[in-house]
Amino acid sequence: MPWSRFDQTSTATLDALPASANRRVISFKDAMREAIDQAMNNDPRVFAIGLDADDKFGVFGSMLNLSHPERVIGTPVSENAMTGVALGAALNGMRPIYIHLRVDFMLLAMDQIANYIAKWRYMTRGKVKVPIVIRTVIGRGWGCGAQHSQTLGGMFAHFPGLKVVMPSDPYEAKGLFLAAVKDDWPVIFIEHRWLYKNTGAVPEEMYVLPVGKGRVVCPGKQLTLVATSLAVVDSLNAISKHELDVELIDPRWLKPLDEDLILNSVRKTGRLLVIDYDFPACGFAAEVCAMVAEKGSQFLKSPVQRMTFPDCPMPASGVLEKAYYPNADKIAERIRGILNGS
Amino acid sequence: MVGDTANLTRELGLRLLRKLREIRQFEERIIPLYPTDVMVTPVHLHIGQEAVPVGVCDHLRPKDLLFFGHRTHGPALAKGLDMNRLMAELFGRTTGCANSFGGSMHLVDPDNGMLGSSALVGGGIALGVGAALAAKLEKRDQFCVSWFGDGAVDSGAFWESLNFAALKAVPVMFVCEDNGLSNVMEKKDHMFADITEVAGHFMEVWRADGTDVHSVWSAAGQALRHIRESGKPAFLWCRTKRWMKHQGVETDDLECNPVDREKDCPIKKLEKAMKARNLASDKELDEITQGIEAQLNAALEFAKKSPFPTEDLLMTEV
Repeated sequence: MPWSRFDQTSTATLDALPASANRRVISFKDAMREAIDQAMNNDPRVFAIGLDADDKFGVFGSMLNLSHPERVIGTPVSENAMTGVALGAALNGMRPIYIHLRVDFMLLAMDQIANYIAKWRYMTRGKVKVPIVIRTVIGRGWGCGAQHSQTLGGMFAHFPGLKVVMPSDPYEAKGLFLAAVKDDWPVIFIEHRWLYKNTGAVPEEMYVLPVGKGRVVCPGKQLTLVATSLAVVDSLNAISKHELDVELIDPRWLKPLDEDLILNSVRKTGRLLVIDYDFPACGFAAEVCAMVAEKGSQFLKSPVQRMTFPDCPMPASGVLEKAYYPNADKIAERIRGILNGS
Repeated sequence: MVGDTANLTRELGLRLLRKLREIRQFEERIIPLYPTDVMVTPVHLHIGQEAVPVGVCDHLRPKDLLFFGHRTHGPALAKGLDMNRLMAELFGRTTGCANSFGGSMHLVDPDNGMLGSSALVGGGIALGVGAALAAKLEKRDQFCVSWFGDGAVDSGAFWESLNFAALKAVPVMFVCEDNGLSNVMEKKDHMFADITEVAGHFMEVWRADGTDVHSVWSAAGQALRHIRESGKPAFLWCRTKRWMKHQGVETDDLECNPVDREKDCPIKKLEKAMKARNLASDKELDEITQGIEAQLNAALEFAKKSPFPTEDLLMTEV
């Protein structure tokens, strides 16, 4: 199996890598491009498919100038059947990467995602494997409005049989993407477009980050802050700008969730705030809060808290967008409120 | 319509007849048992429609893939699923082909080219296209077949699949087993267009009499040859008759679905053709029937003696 060639799993965050490690700095977008290219070079069964997968913009630059353009297949606007095509190819031995430029279009494929892909291994008792990665780009702002700004990570995590991951920086993006491609389960890989230009040190060689393991982004004593994707960046800004003594946890995977990492942190801090850039009802933040309330209530000095989008669709007007979306200052304000007992 | 029994050989006839009878007798065995609740799973019987799976699958090797829908027993047996493992699956036992996790509608048998089946109408059509895309990308000698009824033609996934297969020259065979009914809805009430006419805009279409196994066999052979030679998809349409209700073990009684159990029977048609040309004797035909009865007795014993799953398996493979 070509994947055994880079079977070593990195459990460290990049900061913990030895000084001799490669410290080349590249963007999130280029880290994704490199990961996709390496995955395709490494294994001829890996191919990419989706609307505009082969267009001249290369999926916001993340798929430009790949070494194997013959394995990049553009599709009509037929998300549902095309997702079924990816499933059929996976069942017949391939390792497809499906790409959606906007997560909102994934809802057209929910029959295949929820009824087929999520359930296929269970229904067939694992006699067939389902190694599919569904990449989807999320974003917001510029008046994109209600149908071009959703996140939906929690909704995908709702279905047993799907894994869901949301990387927050270039190093994470490459390692988590290669882990997703290597996995024999379907993985929903959610990329925030606002992270695309962010840069960070990324090793040139292939590496995978572990499935279902989160990371402590920065240690702290007074509160456990759980965030994914862009919310990790905003949280870090909140912590540094407002000099907060909180522990920031990036679970990376909405599912499988690294419960121990979160519970161990709450054991230390006694407080939990989950930042989830998604709708609140029945969502990921609610899930983490419920998990800590169920399994860690003895550690809690104050009730679990969450910060999400409001329970309404995204507005288009810039004024309303400003009111709608959380940011570093709003996160800091919320943390101060919890610490002050208000 | 394709098909001429003039070139029917004894060997082929007996092979097809054996499979037709396997499906018919398997399904008939379920009928009296079903009300006793030994099988707690929704069944969609294939009685009357046997010619379609048998005529198609006779051309397929174990490595060729077949994706089908909720009406599973016919295609699965025709493709080579062991009768014991099918019966055990219906009985909810761990020796079933999906170890009791699938039930009647979700059969799996990778060794015989069945990588899972879906109970949701339409979506499964795309899976055969994807499998054929994989075969094309890997330059494999492998046929992939998407199997569906006329009800599935109403779904967007059907048209999306047809369009993509034609656009990208995906070497898949679409098989429409048209029994003229979407559950209890007559075709004129659920599909405005003529299926074969519209499909013909995307790819070559073969039309067969889905109550005549030799007609299906001949058309399927031609369609598969076209796929192999052109690298393009093909569409096989088989007009057949559903004798039973959509689900369960009762005879269908819809006014729009009159069935003549003499004229519309694929088994009687084939037996008549073979006897007319002295390809088989009454004794031989009877021996086939009795042989399958013995197989069915063994399959029932196997299923009844097999264990139920234990609760510790509930959260596995998820």
